[in-house]
Amino acid sequence: MAAIWAPSISVSAQAPSSTPTDVVIQNATVMTVTHGTIPHGSVWIHNGKIAGVGATVNAPAGAKTIDAAGKYVTPGIIDPHSHSALGDDVNEATSPVTPSMMMIDAFDNRDKALYQALAGGVTTELLLHGSANMIGGQAVVIKNKFGLSRDEMLFPNAPRSIKFASGENPKRVYGRRGEVPSTRMGNFEVMRQAFEDAKAYMASWDAYNAKVAKSDKDAVAPKKDLKLEALADVLRGKLLVQIHCYRADEFLTEEAIAKEYGYKIRAFHHALEMYKVGDKIAPTGTGIATFADWWGFKDEAWDAIPWNAVMSTREGVRVALKSDSNDYVRRLNQEAGKMVNYGGATEDEALRMITLNPAWIIGVDDRVGSLDEGKDGDVVIWNMDPLSTYARVEKVFIDGDMFFDSSMPGFGTTHFNGVMHEAGFEGSDDEGGGQ
Amino acid sequence: MKSTLLIAFFACASLTALTASAQTVQPVSQPGPNDTAGMTAKTIAIVGGKVLTVTHGTIENGTVIMSGGKIVAVGSAKATKVPAGAEIFDAKGMTVYPGLFDAETNLGLTEVASDQNSNDLAETADEIEPQMHAADAFHAETVHIPVDRLNGITNAIVAPASEDSIAGQDSVIQLYGRDRDQMLMQRDVALAMNFEGSVRRKGNFNGGPSKFPTTRMGLASQIRQAFLDAQAYEVERAAATKPDHKGVPPKRDLKLEALLPYLHGEKPVVLAARESYEVEVAMGLAKEFHLKVILNHVTHAQDVLDEIASYHVPVIVGSVYDFPRPDERYDAVYSLPAELQKRGVKIALSSDGGGEGGSRNLPYAAGYAVAYGLPYDEALKAITLNPAEMFGLGDSLGSLDVGKTANVVVANGDPLDVRTSVKQVFIDGNAVPMVSRQTKLRDEYMPLTTKKP
Repeated sequence: MAAIWAPSISVSAQAPSSTPTDVVIQNATVMTVTHGTIPHGSVWIHNGKIAGVGATVNAPAGAKTIDAAGKYVTPGIIDPHSHSALGDDVNEATSPVTPSMMMIDAFDNRDKALYQALAGGVTTELLLHGSANMIGGQAVVIKNKFGLSRDEMLFPNAPRSIKFASGENPKRVYGRRGEVPSTRMGNFEVMRQAFEDAKAYMASWDAYNAKVAKSDKDAVAPKKDLKLEALADVLRGKLLVQIHCYRADEFLTEEAIAKEYGYKIRAFHHALEMYKVGDKIAPTGTGIATFADWWGFKDEAWDAIPWNAVMSTREGVRVALKSDSNDYVRRLNQEAGKMVNYGGATEDEALRMITLNPAWIIGVDDRVGSLDEGKDGDVVIWNMDPLSTYARVEKVFIDGDMFFDSSMPGFGTTHFNGVMHEAGFEGSDDEGGGQ
Repeated sequence: MKSTLLIAFFACASLTALTASAQTVQPVSQPGPNDTAGMTAKTIAIVGGKVLTVTHGTIENGTVIMSGGKIVAVGSAKATKVPAGAEIFDAKGMTVYPGLFDAETNLGLTEVASDQNSNDLAETADEIEPQMHAADAFHAETVHIPVDRLNGITNAIVAPASEDSIAGQDSVIQLYGRDRDQMLMQRDVALAMNFEGSVRRKGNFNGGPSKFPTTRMGLASQIRQAFLDAQAYEVERAAATKPDHKGVPPKRDLKLEALLPYLHGEKPVVLAARESYEVEVAMGLAKEFHLKVILNHVTHAQDVLDEIASYHVPVIVGSVYDFPRPDERYDAVYSLPAELQKRGVKIALSSDGGGEGGSRNLPYAAGYAVAYGLPYDEALKAITLNPAEMFGLGDSLGSLDVGKTANVVVANGDPLDVRTSVKQVFIDGNAVPMVSRQTKLRDEYMPLTTKKP
């Protein structure tokens, strides 16, 4: 697909392997996230990586320059909670424990929601299993290189994440069928049993390996079990644990279980009541990916307040904003802007909630989420301060290649539509299975 | 967490209660936070702010004077004399604008969306339900109202959810008052009609069986038959009043009777249609019965914009956040308000039910329309004066003009910007306590640490 639209792109839209050279965006208000805002700054991208950020940069002569006078430049926006591009395959809601589900097997790189998110400046997304199951499946991290192949859209070497869920959703899904769990008691017991199973599985492998080490000829390898392998990897600390969870009591229970079994929780997702127990959660190091101001749509969202993100930040919790929606993902910058209203976040704090903090939740903050030398060339040019209601995305670069340009006809034109219709595109409203 | 605004008239009784020291004895007749009785006699002058009048431009250093629940003066600081004894609200550095009007919301018809017991959104046993009155389910004590009004929403059209061909009759509410009767300004102001594909009874989204109508043809014939039945009913009823009428007069039929004011063009039907051809078919139906129309939910009608303008009917656009169709650019829906306004169409914006954030996000939808081409003043109108006029309330609401209801908002910046905080809302000239269940939770759990990371 890249070849189809490359001709209309003015800078450089070849596949990443052919990323030629140097792009310099200059004269812009550069919001670095990590080291303040540079009023008249430049960003230099060399071979897909940020090679310089500052009032001046030492780009080589012949670099492609973009005069961004009057514009704002930020790192790409990062959504740490999305169910886009997974079609109807968001929930394997047939058993409360399905850790062997791989979202990558459902990933549809042609989903138009990805393009719409890209048009909102979103360059990286964590595509998660839905919330039907206590232990859902393993996530996939993508770069929003709409138009390229499935493989080319995967975030290279991103850490693996797994999605857990507790509370109303698993209760509803299984309770309705007269199965466990139908209560929060059931929720957590299902989890504990799953980890007991994993421990027994690990022990059987340990016993086998010990026999092998002693050259015991009778050693028989246990059967590989995909579910238990995944849970074992949780216990080994090889998977980042992302937990859908709304209520204060549940954060505490989840942390207690994590402690009991010796794993760390990377982030609570939704986390609408974190403002009640932020002081207790901050020392655990668990972050949150929360809504800016959604509330009241279900009982466990009843105590949601739009000050949650900033109050939790003040308590020392690492806070990201997320969309959980093909709609809100298109304007996460506005959601961040609301934090200036609700709680008086500084511009840096607000911006960090949709860049560096979600990058950390995904485990890729060493590579994206701020404009720093050595990081990936994922950069957005806005027509004005991105925290304003009125801000529009003008250009989006990922790994130094431009994937969105508002002056292009783009998606929705005949040019694109041939491809869309061939791929069987239909409207895909929020089917995230989230909330 | 912003510091509370210090203003002179905050010493009024209801607020004293919140800050009173322990030894203060409160009178038994202490009014509750919603009690507006006896408060409207006050004269309040909002001075020093940037005043967005909506009807006659922006006044940089303006004065708005309210008395007896009405706006009694609006003008520049120089030209407007503050009456002796007036309470002064210092709005220096702030923006003053009329209360916002949400042209379509389910406010008061639902509490917790996932809890069916709290939902009175739409009666769906039948598809033709004009005899349903949103007013009958309106829950004045809903927790949502204080939350929404703290962002400057002072008035709204409460409509049943868009799930029937004819879903019932809308009411207009004011978001402050002692009880339902005070908040319901006018019941049955409009008829909610839907001509959208999603209204069909295809049976697979609520698990129920599929039943008539499963197609837009079915929708159209069902609506047409309903109006024909109502016409026949009216004729029959009129005949029964003649002296020479024989037999029993027809039984009063609430369903058909409810359609009569709309057939007479006395009140508008709010006619939802999303796609171009849906707009055309729906308008055809409306013409057939001479209905007075407000178009609603128009989102994918880019190729009939001139045609829509030629109808000379007002339009509630969007939601502007609707997804584009595969044959539309990513920003096609965002720019729709601008495209219609450009063609002379009177537009309003709504929160389209309410959604996850409720009506409080209405001003930001207007801001988004500005980002995609709608002139600022028109965007403000689309959430103030235009909806008021569409529903026949233009004389009393929607702008800062002498004689209008004193619904006034003061914010610390541009009301359409997400970063702006509303500082004070006045409804009927009363300073609304800036308290909701959410602010109480905020204050209860205010972090002990105030360090910035």
